[in-house]
Formats: sequence, structure tokens, C-alpha cells
Amino acid sequence: MSAQPGTSTEVKWQKVLYERQPFPDNYVDQRFLEELRKNVHARKYRFWAVVFESGVVVQQLCSVCVFVVIWWYMDEGLLAPHWLLGTGLASSLIGYILFDLIDGGEGRRKSGRTRWADLKSALVFITFTYGFSPILKTLTESVSTDTIYAMSVFMLLGHLVFFDYGANAAIVSSTLSLNMAIFASVCLASRLPRSLHAFIMVTFAIQIFALWPMLQKKLKAHTPCSYVGVTLLFAFSALGGLLSISLVGAVLFALLLVAISCLCPFYLIRLQLFKENIHGPWDEAEIKEDLSRFLN
Amino acid sequence: MAYRRRGRHGHPRSATRYRAGRGNLYTFRTRTHNICMVSDFFYPNMGGVESHIYQLSQCLIERGHKVVIVTHAYGNRKGIRYLTNGLKVYYLPLKVMYNQSTATTLFHSLPLLRYIFVRERVTIIHSHSSFSAMAHDALFHAKTMGLQTVFTDHSLFGFADVSSVLTNKLLTVSLCDTNHIICVSYTSKENTVLRAALNPEIVSVIPNAVDPTDFTPDPFRRHDSIITIVVVSRLVYRKGTDLLSGIIPELCQKYPDLNFIIGGEGPKRIILEEVRERYQLHDRVRLLGALEHKDVRNVLVQGHIFLNTSLTEAFCMAIVEAASCGLQVVSTKVGGIPEVLPENLIILCEPSVKSLCEGLEKAISQLKSGTLPAPENLHNIVKTFYTWRNVAERTEKVYDRVAGEAVLPMDRRLDRLISHCGPVTGCIFALLAVFNFLFLIFLRWMTPDSVIDVAIDATGPKGAWTHQYPYSKKRGENNEICKIR
Repeated sequence: MSAQPGTSTEVKWQKVLYERQPFPDNYVDQRFLEELRKNVHARKYRFWAVVFESGVVVQQLCSVCVFVVIWWYMDEGLLAPHWLLGTGLASSLIGYILFDLIDGGEGRRKSGRTRWADLKSALVFITFTYGFSPILKTLTESVSTDTIYAMSVFMLLGHLVFFDYGANAAIVSSTLSLNMAIFASVCLASRLPRSLHAFIMVTFAIQIFALWPMLQKKLKAHTPCSYVGVTLLFAFSALGGLLSISLVGAVLFALLLVAISCLCPFYLIRLQLFKENIHGPWDEAEIKEDLSRFLN
Repeated sequence: MAYRRRGRHGHPRSATRYRAGRGNLYTFRTRTHNICMVSDFFYPNMGGVESHIYQLSQCLIERGHKVVIVTHAYGNRKGIRYLTNGLKVYYLPLKVMYNQSTATTLFHSLPLLRYIFVRERVTIIHSHSSFSAMAHDALFHAKTMGLQTVFTDHSLFGFADVSSVLTNKLLTVSLCDTNHIICVSYTSKENTVLRAALNPEIVSVIPNAVDPTDFTPDPFRRHDSIITIVVVSRLVYRKGTDLLSGIIPELCQKYPDLNFIIGGEGPKRIILEEVRERYQLHDRVRLLGALEHKDVRNVLVQGHIFLNTSLTEAFCMAIVEAASCGLQVVSTKVGGIPEVLPENLIILCEPSVKSLCEGLEKAISQLKSGTLPAPENLHNIVKTFYTWRNVAERTEKVYDRVAGEAVLPMDRRLDRLISHCGPVTGCIFALLAVFNFLFLIFLRWMTPDSVIDVAIDATGPKGAWTHQYPYSKKRGENNEICKIR
């Protein structure tokens, strides 16, 4: 080794490998782990902001609840299909107008989609669903009702799991989520008394699972206050509907909503205190630039 | 690797041993060890870990230790093979699962490994690479059998994602009762200590080495009318190939006399080809494809500047090889790279296209003004930095230290597992350790240690390779050793 034994007391340890240093190989300097950083990218959450964000989950839970309640009423014969069709169409029209009003038609200009195209797809959809509704009605006749219910439950749960709540995760897939919801609606619709019921049920499912979230997203982005109002209103109407069927179900559902919108944010913020995210020179570097410009 | 280097290690031992001052081999060492290197990664696979194991083993043999290597079978290459200087390699018939790493059940390899440990009279198990399941299996079995264990970690790991959280937990379990751990750089040591929650005192830093005689400069091979930047790396995301695809057009537009030579293969090669196509640089950017280790030097000496764009690196051997060939090194400042070369031999940049371009421009202007040191001078400086003999000497100190330590008895090992690895994982692995111990007792009852033949000692102080004893005499000697034990 190059260093002289006599000088070893004054020599300062360096974090270099190319020099033979007068220290044993397992020497631990004071500078050990000095570049360790903790919680560099940790975000500070504010309670009400998190509660606001949890609105998406609440809304989706309520959508599923409203859907099931409406189905129950139809199945029991307490709700006339014409009435549901009328309300559904009316609210869709209002929603359609709102959709453009909220952002002053900016989204429409960006996407370049004409009203004629919207009308065409709506017509095509309604015609085909109406035409196929007798098939939908008889499609699952040979399958036992219990199986249908079980399948619907799984599909609706799957819809909730895979729904795009705005998180950037691998599990999120809005296509899969929508497909599962429509599948559940087809399953449930096939247990209704007539094919008109089935047609209206599937149309309603499209409205509540495909169109309604789009409107919500826009509401949330442009008018947060009205979004809170709409969420509350929606939650209470879902609760009310459930209450008319089952008291226990309504209480449990209310508890679930409170837990998701208040308790979970509270715990998220509390558990942040225990967060210990370690960073240091060993981390894989991130490429922050946009490198695709070199290829375009 | 092994066969190719035979020329170097095959020459008469008296000639290689030794300049004075480097640990006198002829004064007989009081203590020699029987070392078993275990890793999934060995020749014919190629890479840093593989050459590390081979070179270290050769140098340890040179220093009078007995070394055997255990790895898994590579295709047709199975059974026992002897390499240069009687280095014995066991290619075990274990199933390869993913990326040349074997599947592990924690138990199925015990019969084979125990047999090897006993018949080779191994005293120290030295496992390599945290990606190798076999290395961890061997550590587990060795502790059950009461043998000393050493582990070398060659890689860096993050802490953020789920996969690293799980692997770090397994590493904690595997290393919590290992006698000593070796890391290849100080950054790697910090990383390993954090990952496995270790006492830093039992972690040594011993860098990798390069063979300076393999990487000599040859200034006549390069054209001084143009400037050539050399890149030699696998073309994968972690090596920063994306950054390279931004640097090439940026600099080629600025300097008309600039050429790139890129050696290596990988999934990201396609983006380099796209860049070359897009900017019409076919005559200035050469993609050589996969390189054999022996060809690397011939590529390096054609360049003036070496560029390394890695995003993470425990110890970057490529930049040492390049500097040894007399190239100016420009590299990203990640992982252990700042520790590897002194500041005047390397230009460190942030991992971004902008910063790397600035670093390269600095190197180009130095080159044009002629302020860069001559390749021969660079080589003479770098060749003193990292040698395998020095690595072996320092590893030997670890072995000496470990040999003096007691292996944890079973009860204390279980205590350590439970107290150190968390209540759930700790208890599970303590239970597995107990099963392993019972399995070992069963195996000992089936085939007692005494009926296992002692292997012919190829290397080591009384090795068959060193003294050309006739077979019968050698056998008799080995039996004597048995009796002494």
C-alpha cells in the first residue's frame, strides 16, 4: 500500500477507490451515508383537498348503487320502463348541453367532433340496442339466476376496481372497466320481464357508466363548487333510493361513503408521518428531457 | 473467458510470482483456505460478475488457496470441468428459471451442495451477485452446515418500487447471519447496508479490477484527422441508450469531423438506427453489434473520447478499461462512478443530453487544443489503480477475518432471524431454517460425511496441479489430510 504507516493518523478518508488508503476495507467513516436523503418527493396533503379528490370514488360507488336500485324497481314492476326512458333521455339532453356549456365549447373545438357525428352514433347505438334487445332478453335464459347475480356482482366490483379515478397506475383501464359494467347490465337486463325493459336498462347503463363520468370530469375541472354540490346530491339520492329498499343496506352504504370520503383521507395524512422514502446516489437516474424530438 | 485467458495465466508460475513487497508467497502463509465460489453466473456466460469470479479465483490460487467454483449447467456444459491452474468448476444440473438464474425452493440444492462442500473440504463459501438464487441457496445451506460465509454484491438497487421492496426483504434474510459482505464501491456499500439493514462494520469495500495488460493504448489505430467517440455498452434503458440517441444528432450537426463507434447489442439498438436514418449519419455512426470481451480493446483504441451514459452503475469497469486504453472519459455522474477515476481523468456530467453534450464539447476542445495527456501516460497512471492481485490480497484479509469468527449455532441463528427480519418474515425463514437443518440430518444419516469421497485437490498448497505427484501418492496424501481433520 502506498500510504506510510506514520501518516495514517492525519490522513483523511476519501470516498475514492483508485487510491490505496491507510484504512481497513471495512472502515466506516463519519461521512458514511451523508448523501442519504429522505422523502425528497413526498407530497404534503391537505385534508379537504383529499376529501374533494375522493369525490370521484364516491360518485362511482353511487352510480353502481343507483343502477342496482333502478334495476330492482324495474324487476319488481314498480317502475314503468317508459318513465325511465323519458327521464333518461331528458337528463341525457340536459347533460349534453351542459357538457358544451361548461367549458364554452373548447373541448369540442379541440376534438373536432361535430354534433352530426354525435347524433349519428347515438342513433346507431339506440337502433342496434333496440333491435338486439329480444336477443339480450333470451341470451342467458339457460343460465341460472344465481349465476347471473353472482356474475353481475363480480362485474360491478371489477368496474369499480379498474375505473380510471385519475391515478397513474398499471391496473387502471377505463375500457375494461366500462366493458365490465355493460356486461353486468346485460346480465341483469336479461332477468327483466320484457325485451323493452332490457333495452331501456342497457341504455340506462350506458348513460350512467359511460356518459355521466365524462360530464363529472368536466364539472370537476371547471366548476369545483358545483361538482361538490352534484356529488352530495347524487350521494343522497342514491342513499334515499337504497333506503326505500333496505334500511340495513342504506346504513352500511352510508358508512362506506363516510369512510371513503373522510376516514381514508384522514388516515392517508396521518400515515404520511411514518413515510420514510430513501434516496441517494444509488438511485437510477431519471431522464427528464423529452427525447422523442430527435426522432420527429 | 477462461480459455481465452489461458495464455496469460498459463505461463510458468515462477515468472508470475512476484515482485517484492506484494505479500511474499514463498514465505509459507500460516493459513490457507478452502474456498467455494458460488454463483449462477459463470463462463460461458459473459459479464462483470463472471470475470470477477474467474480472475479472483485465479489470483487466490496463485496465493496458495484452494478454490472451486459452483454454478449451474449451461446447455451441454455440465458436470465437472477444470480451467487454467486446476480451477475446478462444478456445473450443477439445476433448472434455470429466468435470466440465467436458477429456480429456488431453498431445499432441493442441499444434497448436491452438501456433497460438494464435504468432498472438497470447503471452509468458506463465497457467494456472488444478489440476482443469483443459487448464491443465496448456498449461503443458506452453508449456515446450516456451520460453514463460514462471504457474499459479494455487484449491483445497486432502488427502494421505491414493489419489486425492490420484496428483493430487499429477501436480501435482509439472506445476509442477516452472513459473516462478511463485500461491495464493489462505497456507494454500493451504503446501498447494501441500507437494503439489508446491516452493521456497516461487516461490509468491506473491495473494487473490481481490470487487467491492464489487456487494455493497452495504440495511438496509431486512430485517425487524428477526425474525432472519434466510442461507446461500448449493452444497448438497454439502464445504460442510457436513450440519452445517446439525443447526443448523436446534437453533436454531429455541430462538429462535421465527429464520428461515433458504438459497440454492443440490445433492445434499444433500434432507436439508434432510427436516429442514424433520420439524420443520414450512416458514414459517421458505426453500430458494431455485440462485442466479445477480447475485441473490446481493439474497438476502444480507435477512439479519442469514451462516452458512458449509464443511469445506474455500482462500479463501472468500462470507463476504467477505456481510460487504460488512453481515452478521455466522459460519463454520467451516477452510482459509484465518481469514486472510480480521479477528477483529471474523467469529465462527469448530469444524466441529461444537455449536460453530456457540454461535457463532450469540453473534451473535444481539449483534444483540439492538445491539452489532453498522451494515451501512454494515461495508461501508466490507470494501470496502477485496479489490479486483481490487489483484489485477491484484500479478499484474503476478509477470509482470514471470517475464519477467525464463530458461525452462529442454530439457536442463535434462529434468534437472529426472528429479531432481525421482522416478525412475519423472520418466523417463516426461521421455520425454513429448521426444516433445512432436519433435512441435513436426514442426509447425513443417509450418506454420512465419512463415506463421501474426498475430491482430488487440484489447486491449493498441496494441490495436484502445483506438484505433479503421481496419482497414488497424491491419493495417500489426501487421506492424510482427512485424518488430520
